[in-house]
Amino acid sequence: MSSLGFFSANSPGGSSGSGGGSGGPSGFCPWASTSSVSTSGKRIHKEMMEFSSDPPTDCSAGPNGDNLYHWISTIIAPNGSAYEGGMFFLDIVFPTDYPFRPPKVRFRTRIYHCNVDSNGNISLGILKANGGWSPALTISDVLAAIRSLFINPDPYNPAANSTARLFLTDRAKHDEIAAEWTFRFAS
Amino acid sequence: MFFSSGNLTARIFERQIRTPRPSTSVNRVRKFYENLVPNHTEYDIDCPDIYFRKFTDDGQYLITFSRNYQELIVYRPTGLSVSFKEDCHFHDVSTKVKRFDSYFNQLYCIPLASSNEVICKDFFLYMDDRQFGLFATSTMHVHEPTFIQGGVHGIPSIEKITFHLLRLEDGVILDEKVFHNDFIHVTSCIGVFIYDDLISILSILYQTIHIFQIRESGNLVEVRRIGSFCRDDDELFLNSHAQVIATDKNKPISSSFSVENNTEHPDDTERNTFFSGIKQRLLSFIFRGIWNEREDDLLRVPLLKKKFYFHFQDYANLVIWKVQFLDRRHLFIKFGSAEGAVSRSTEIHRAFFAVYNMETTEIISFHQNPSDELYLLFEKFCSNFHVASRNSLHANFVTSHSNNLHALELLKVIKSKSTYYSQFVKKILASLPFTCQSQSPSPYFDQSLFRYDEKLISSMERHRQALDYPIKFILRRQPNTHKFKIKPGPDSGSADARQKRIYSFLFHPFLPFAISIQHTFMQSTVVNVHFRR
Repeated sequence: MSSLGFFSANSPGGSSGSGGGSGGPSGFCPWASTSSVSTSGKRIHKEMMEFSSDPPTDCSAGPNGDNLYHWISTIIAPNGSAYEGGMFFLDIVFPTDYPFRPPKVRFRTRIYHCNVDSNGNISLGILKANGGWSPALTISDVLAAIRSLFINPDPYNPAANSTARLFLTDRAKHDEIAAEWTFRFAS
Repeated sequence: MFFSSGNLTARIFERQIRTPRPSTSVNRVRKFYENLVPNHTEYDIDCPDIYFRKFTDDGQYLITFSRNYQELIVYRPTGLSVSFKEDCHFHDVSTKVKRFDSYFNQLYCIPLASSNEVICKDFFLYMDDRQFGLFATSTMHVHEPTFIQGGVHGIPSIEKITFHLLRLEDGVILDEKVFHNDFIHVTSCIGVFIYDDLISILSILYQTIHIFQIRESGNLVEVRRIGSFCRDDDELFLNSHAQVIATDKNKPISSSFSVENNTEHPDDTERNTFFSGIKQRLLSFIFRGIWNEREDDLLRVPLLKKKFYFHFQDYANLVIWKVQFLDRRHLFIKFGSAEGAVSRSTEIHRAFFAVYNMETTEIISFHQNPSDELYLLFEKFCSNFHVASRNSLHANFVTSHSNNLHALELLKVIKSKSTYYSQFVKKILASLPFTCQSQSPSPYFDQSLFRYDEKLISSMERHRQALDYPIKFILRRQPNTHKFKIKPGPDSGSADARQKRIYSFLFHPFLPFAISIQHTFMQSTVVNVHFRR
C-alpha cells in the first residue's frame, strides 16, 4: 500500500490553522470543538461510504489526504451541455457542526457560469444555510445538484449578473463563450 | 588485413580507393581521430588570469570571463603558431610555446555586467547557425524565501537576472531580457534550454515557462508563456470577459486581499485561487488516467479516492523543476515538491515527468519516478531525449547508449549489478531532463573510438578532484593500445598531495586540442595545453 503522502515533509491536507473564525472568507477550520467533530465525522464517514456505493453520474469525490472535513470533487461536464469536454475540480469543506450547516463548495477550475462568481463560489439554493439546506441532504445530493447546473443554469438566482443577463437575452452567445472558457481553462 | 590497418598512410590510401558503405563516410573519416590525438602537453603555460568557460560547439570561439566576472573575453583558437626561422633560437621557440597568445587570438573584451551584477560563470549557451551566444548576469545576493504575491512559498529570489544575447563575431549585444525578483536556475544552465531558435527560461518562483524566439535580427521575442495560462491569449480572453462582470469582480478580489494579509499560511491563499493553467491540465490528465482504468462507477470511485484524492494536495502542490525541449512543440517537464526545486541533490526528492504539447496545450504523458515505462523509453530512444539543435553537426556524435554499443553495454552491466532495480531506474532518470549543451562533442570522448575512465574524464562538463597520474585514452578497436595520455596540473606533480585540487578540461569540438585547468586552494591556477605534435 502506498505510504502516507508523497513527500515526507509535506503532510497531505495541511489545511488547519487558518484561525478560529469559521465564518470568515476561507473558513478552513474543521477542528473547533472535539465533541462535534466526532458526530459530524461519523456522518461524513457514512456519507463517504454511501457515495462510493452509489455515486451520481460523472461525479467523484474523496477526502483530500486524510482530512475528512476537506474533500475534493471532480465533475465531468455532461455531454450536450455548453461545458462539454470540461473537467471541473471543486473544493468541499464541511463545517464542524455538519450536517446542521451546509458544506462550503467552491470551484477550483475557472468556469463561465451565471451561478458561479469570479472566486468560484456557487450560488445554489441548497447550499445556503438559512435557505434550502436541510440536514437530510447529503453530499451526493449537492454534487448532483451542481452537475444539473451545467445543463440548466439558474439565471434568476445569479452570482454573476452579466452572465445571467446574457444567458437570458442571448443564449447562443452565452453558450459559445462558455464553451470557449471550458476549452481554454477546464480541459 | 590491409583494410583494418590503423596506419595513417594506409588509411588515406584506403580512403582514396574505396567508397564507404552508404552514409558511413562520416564515421569512417572520424576514424582518423585514432591517428590524430593530442599527444603532447605544454605544462603550466603563461596565461592571463581568466575564467575559462568553454569552446563553442563550432570551434570558432573560446569563451572566457575576467576574474572579477565583469567582462567577457572571447578568443579565437588558432592552434600553435610558432616555427623556426633562420635566425631564431630554440630558446625563443620554447618560450613562445609557453605563451597563451601563441594558441589564441583575443578578439575582444567587453564589459557585460553592470555595477552591482556579476556574470554567472557557469552560464553560456550557443546558437551554432548564427553564432549567437546567450549569457547571464545577476545580482549576488539571493534573498531568503519570503512570501511574494503569486510566487511559490519557500523559493528564494534574486533581485535581478539579466540575459544577454550577443553576436560573437564582433561582440555586439543584440538584446537583453531582465527578470526582477525572480528565481531562475542559471548555475550550469539548468533553467534555460535552447532548441533551434527557441529558448525556454523557467522561472521557478513564479512557475512560468517563458518561451523566447531569437529572431533573425537578433531580437528576443517572447512567443509563449506557460504557467498561469496555457495559451498566449488566455489572459486577454479572460480580461475581455471579466470586464463584462466587473461589478461582481471588485468585491471578492478585495476580500481575498484581506485574507492574504491576515493569514500566515500562503497555502490557504493559494487555495483561494483557481488552479493555474498547467496545473489544471496536469490534474485533469492524472484524473482521466485513473478514471479510465475502470469501467464501472462502483469500482472507480474507491480507486480515485485512494489513488487521486488521497494524494491530491501533493499533486496540487507540485512545482516545475526543470524543462527541456523534445522538439519545437513538445516540452519535457520535471515536477517535484517545492523543497526540492532549489536544492542541488534532487535525487532524494520524488519527481514526476510530463510531456507537454505547447500548441494543443495538452499533457501527453505523466510518469512518476521511478517509472519502468519511462526508463525503457529512455534506454531505447535516448537520443530522442538528447536533442541538439537540428543543424548542430558535431552534437550528433556525442556518445549515448542509444547510438553507441559500448555505452549501452555499460548501462546494462550497471543495470544487472544493481540490487534494487527501482533504485537504479530512479538514479538513471534523475538526470532527466537533460541540461542544454552540457556535453562536449569532442571525438576523443566518442566511445566507439576511445576507452577511458569515465570517473576521471567524460564529455560532461564537470569539475573533478585532482589526481597525480595521467588519464589514459585507449583505442577501442584492435590493437587496443594506449594511444595518448593527458594530465592536468604541473608536470612534476604536486608537492603536497593532501591539498585539495580541482581540475577541469575544455576540449576543442573537433581539433586535437584541449586545455586543462587545475586549481589548488590558495595557489595559482595551472593551465596546460594539450595538442598534437
